[in-house]
Order: sequence, then C-alpha cells, then structure tokens
Amino acid sequence: MNNAILTIRNLRKSFQQHEIIRGVNLDVMADERHAFIGPNGAGKSTVFNLISGNLTPTSGEITFCGQRIDGMPPQDINRLGLARSFQITNIFPRLTVFENVRLAVARAHRSQYNFWSFIDRAPRIREHTERLLEQVRLERRMSAIAGEMTYSEQRSLEIALALALDPKVILLDEPMAGMSSEETLYMAEFIRAITRGRALLIVEHDMKVVFSITDRISVLVYGEVIATGKPDEIRNNAKVKEAYLGEEVAR
Amino acid sequence: MRHRGLVGLGVAALIALPWILSQGLLNASIQMLIAALFACAYNLLSGQAGMLSFGHAAYFGVGAFGTVHAMNAFRGAGLLPTPLLPVAGAVAGLIIGAIVGWFATQRTGPYFAMITLAIAELLHSLAPHLRGLFGGEAGVSTMRMPSLGLTFGSTTQVYILVLAWVLASLLALYLYMLTPVGRLTLGLRENAHRLRFLGYNVHNLSVLVFSVSAMFSGIAGSLQVINNEAANYVVFDSSVSASVVLNTYIGGVRVFLGPALGAALMTFFGYAVSDLTQSWLLYQGIVFALVMVFMPSGLAGLFEKSESLHRRFGAAPLAPFFAFALGAAVLIIAGAVFVVELMQRMFSQDYRALATTARPWPPIPLFGRQWSPTSPETWLVPVVSIGVGAACVFLARHVLFKLQDRQESRVSATPFNQH
Repeated sequence: MNNAILTIRNLRKSFQQHEIIRGVNLDVMADERHAFIGPNGAGKSTVFNLISGNLTPTSGEITFCGQRIDGMPPQDINRLGLARSFQITNIFPRLTVFENVRLAVARAHRSQYNFWSFIDRAPRIREHTERLLEQVRLERRMSAIAGEMTYSEQRSLEIALALALDPKVILLDEPMAGMSSEETLYMAEFIRAITRGRALLIVEHDMKVVFSITDRISVLVYGEVIATGKPDEIRNNAKVKEAYLGEEVAR
Repeated sequence: MRHRGLVGLGVAALIALPWILSQGLLNASIQMLIAALFACAYNLLSGQAGMLSFGHAAYFGVGAFGTVHAMNAFRGAGLLPTPLLPVAGAVAGLIIGAIVGWFATQRTGPYFAMITLAIAELLHSLAPHLRGLFGGEAGVSTMRMPSLGLTFGSTTQVYILVLAWVLASLLALYLYMLTPVGRLTLGLRENAHRLRFLGYNVHNLSVLVFSVSAMFSGIAGSLQVINNEAANYVVFDSSVSASVVLNTYIGGVRVFLGPALGAALMTFFGYAVSDLTQSWLLYQGIVFALVMVFMPSGLAGLFEKSESLHRRFGAAPLAPFFAFALGAAVLIIAGAVFVVELMQRMFSQDYRALATTARPWPPIPLFGRQWSPTSPETWLVPVVSIGVGAACVFLARHVLFKLQDRQESRVSATPFNQH
C-alpha cells in the first residue's frame, strides 16, 4: 500500500515450539483508526508487543515511516513516533498524577541526561504537562497519588502517558476493559478526539465501540489475519462469522 | 525542603562542634559525617532508584585507594592540594562505578543485588594479592600535606575539611533530585518497564544513577583516608557493605536525610558502646530487626509520625503519651541490655572455666554490682523492667486511642452545628 505508515509483512513469533503469530500482514494508513479484533488467545496483544518492541519477532518485517523497526528496543521505536498503552494499567503508582505525566512529557524536552537544571524551573515542561492533563480531564487530580485513583482515571492517565510525545501512531490495548457503559461512551469520544491527525491501532472487545469509531478492522484468528476491511465488509464476511460463530459481529 | 530551619540549625551546630567537643568526640564526629554521606550516596541507588546493592563497600574502597595514591603521588607531594583530594576519590568512584554499573544494571532485583555483592567480594579477595595497588595485607599509608596555609595536622582542621565536603555533597545529592534526571530516578524505581515505552533508555539511566551513587561513595571513602592517613583492603569487607544497608534502612529511605541520621546515630553508638560491650554487632542486628518489623519507614518515619500527631492533637494532650512511650523504651531497652550482657558474661570462656569447678556458680559483676546467675532475684530485675515497660506501651496506646476517640466524636458532631 502506498500511504501506509505502519506495514507488517509475514510476521511470525514462536515461543519454544509453539508458533503463536503465524504470518500476519497488516497496513495501517497515516490517518485511519484501525481496530484489531479476534477471539481470546488469537495473539492480538502479542502483535502489539512485537510492534512496540516489547518482544522480538521470530521472522517477518515491521516497517514504520519507511524504516524497519522489528527487533528495535522500545525506547527507539517510541522516539520515532509510535506510542502504546497497556492492557493492564502500567503507570508510576506511588508518584503523583502530575509527576507521572511530567516524566512522559520531559522526554520530549530532551531531559534524559539533564542533571544541571531544575525541572520546576522549566515552564515549557509544566505547561505541556498541564495541557495534557486537561486533555484527559485529570487536571483536578493532578496531586493525587496515581495508584490511589479510580480504575477509569488510571486508564485516562495511561493514555496521557502514551500521548506525551505526540506520536504519529498510537496503539491502545483494550482501553475500555473494565469500564462502565457511561465511561465507555466518554472514552470512545475521547479516543476519536485524540486520534485526529494520527493513526490509531486499537485492540478492543467492545464491538459497539469498535464499529462506531474505526475506519477499518482486521480480524486475527489463531495468529493469522483472516480478513481486513471496512466495518460493513467485516460484518458480512463469511469467514469472520464462522470464527465468531455468528455471534456479536453479525448483529 | 520542609524543615529548612531545622537543617540550618543542624549545620550551625556542626560548624560549632570543634569549639565544644573533645578531640576524641570530634574524631567520632568525623566518622559520623563520613558514614552519613556514604549512607545518602547509597540511598540514591537503593531508596530513590530502587536498586538494592549489597556491595557498596567496593566504591567506598575504590575512593579510598584512589585518594591514598593521589596523596602519595610525586613522592608524597600529592597529585592535588589536600582540600581537593576528595576529587580523586570521586573520579575513582565514578569510573569504577560506571564500569561495574554497566554490567550490574543489565539485570534487576535479586540478580542485580548478587552481581554487586560478587564484585565487592571479588575486590576484597583480590586486593591483598595486588601489593602494588592495595599494599597487600598491610595496606598503604600516607601523610596529609599542608596546603593553603593550613597544616591539616589537627583534628579540628580535618573536621572542617570533612564537614565542608560532606555538606557540599549532601546539597548536591539533594539538588540532583530536583533535576529531570532526579525525577527520572524515581520513575526508575516505580516502573522501569514503562519508562522504556516513554522513549527513555533505561539502561543508560541506570548506569548514570549507579555512577553518581558510586562517585559520592568514593568521596566518603576518600574522606576516611584523609582522616586515617591510611587505606587497607578491609575497606572492601562485606561488613562495610552490610552496615551501609543497615544504617540506611534504620534511618529511613523515604526521607532525604533519613539515611544520614541512621548512619550518624549507629556510628556514634558503635563508637560509644563498642568499648563497653562485646555484643555491639548483636545490638546492631536487634535494632535493625526491630526497625524493620515495627517501623519500616525508619527513624525518620518515627519523627514524621510524632510530628503529625503533634499537629493533630497539640503538645499538652500528648505529653502523657510521650512520657509513657519514653518510659517504655527506656525500661524495655534496660531489661534487654541487662539480659544480653549477663548472658554474654555467663557464656564467656573465662566464666565457663570458673563454673566447672566452683559450686555454686560465682556471682557476675555487672553495672557495679554482683549478680548470681542461679538466683531468681537476678532474673527478676529484667523481667520486672520489661514487664513495666510493656505496661507503659499499653498505657501509651490507651492514651492515644482516647485522644483519637475524642477527636472523632468531635468531628462527627460538627456537621450538625454547621447546618
């Protein structure tokens, strides 16, 4: 595909003798919202871990902005402009919300080795942090200890961390898991807002959300993509129906 | 810093010490200051970055030997003027810390701890064989050279030099925590995995923190050499690594000056008590175990807790609580010390030899009196002391619960008054 920002070609991953990912092909366009669905154990999270550098592929290619990223360490992939959130909330639990986001933001201001200036005296880092907190509606919880917040607040924080570097592609791993229907509604709107102007690859079990916010859907079954297409095409795809035993998707 | 006034007062007191203390106590103060700096340097790695090292003697020792060789350079003229000698220790600590850190931080948790332990033990077993570098078992001795019009011959001058370096180093360590890298150090402790997905190179960051910690440990080692005018391979001993861990946790890792407090107190007790008892190591172990079980936030945590109580209830209502708590501490410690000291004398070889021939067992002199180990009255002393102490604990808790109850009933009553 010509204007794909993220391309996956024949991706394979084995753990010991078991091949979990068995030749995945996928294209994510620069400005599309792309969902990744499939039954439990299909390997969706594993594909995320392979893309983001948490795991190294056994074989195959992952190209991001024309550059091979398979096997790169996560921090390098992140710096190229690909950020992710985690299925199990992955934050800095005993630091404040403000400190959490500031850690993420500081990276954009080249602070990895900065030990000669005070972080409190960096107005740009503070403003950037406050802007992001506002965006995820956590500005009032700024001095709360992150690990003591409600689950959905922690999920919002998780996304704020992923947004800090203004990534070109964002991977969200089940952002709605464990949320009430009201929170899910807000989160869907929120995801639509934050992904304007960037690509989204999302793993999500809530089919209503998936069909309402995404442009295209890929279905992963037993480590293979069995179909990719617009929501309507996927809904009517015979192979997908078979995989899901006609349940949710066909409705 | 919340206790700016308190810190200022402490610094003023430290500057005044040479005019107050005897030479012997001033020398003890030098050792306390060095231990305090070492503990704070260690805490940067273990408390702030969450990397538990069991071999920090290595960097203390490297700083010490780096300094001893700097002092002996150019046939004793010295590589640096005496006041700047700790720079040699800092550089030595930094270089070795960066090299070891590069390997050790490849792993985390218990594996990291084992690597640091192994490297310190490696140096400890290697040092006596490398005569040129570490002077064999005898070590390397040296002389402080006069500089800047000062002879550095008196304890007072050495004390001032040590104090200046310790204060400057502690300030640097404190300011470090306010920089972006300092905040990242906390992130490293909280969730190193997540940092990688925020674009940070976690390994480089870990090596950096490790090196900074080793550098300040090197300064501490350096100050010890300047004070002792000698370095010996025993600075690499595992007991040095162990005591910095114990001091740091006794003081409390969550407060910046906690480890300094713990190290200063334990060093002072070591100095004051080691002449009086042969069981100092046992006491050290008991204190550590008690702190870990009953107040894991350390002595600094104890101060914070009493401060928050004071803020909540005020001084006057708390007076009985503190009186009972103090009474309990004194009585229980007295009873425990009595038992330990009496047992230590009972099981000593000399007394065992006496006891095989003499019937009944001869009395044991302790605290200016004779105690017969077979008489029940002897053992009644610690039993009563600890028993009354335990009663004091009960009373202290009772006072506190009553205060809390009274406040809670007042708080729950207020909404009715407001509406």
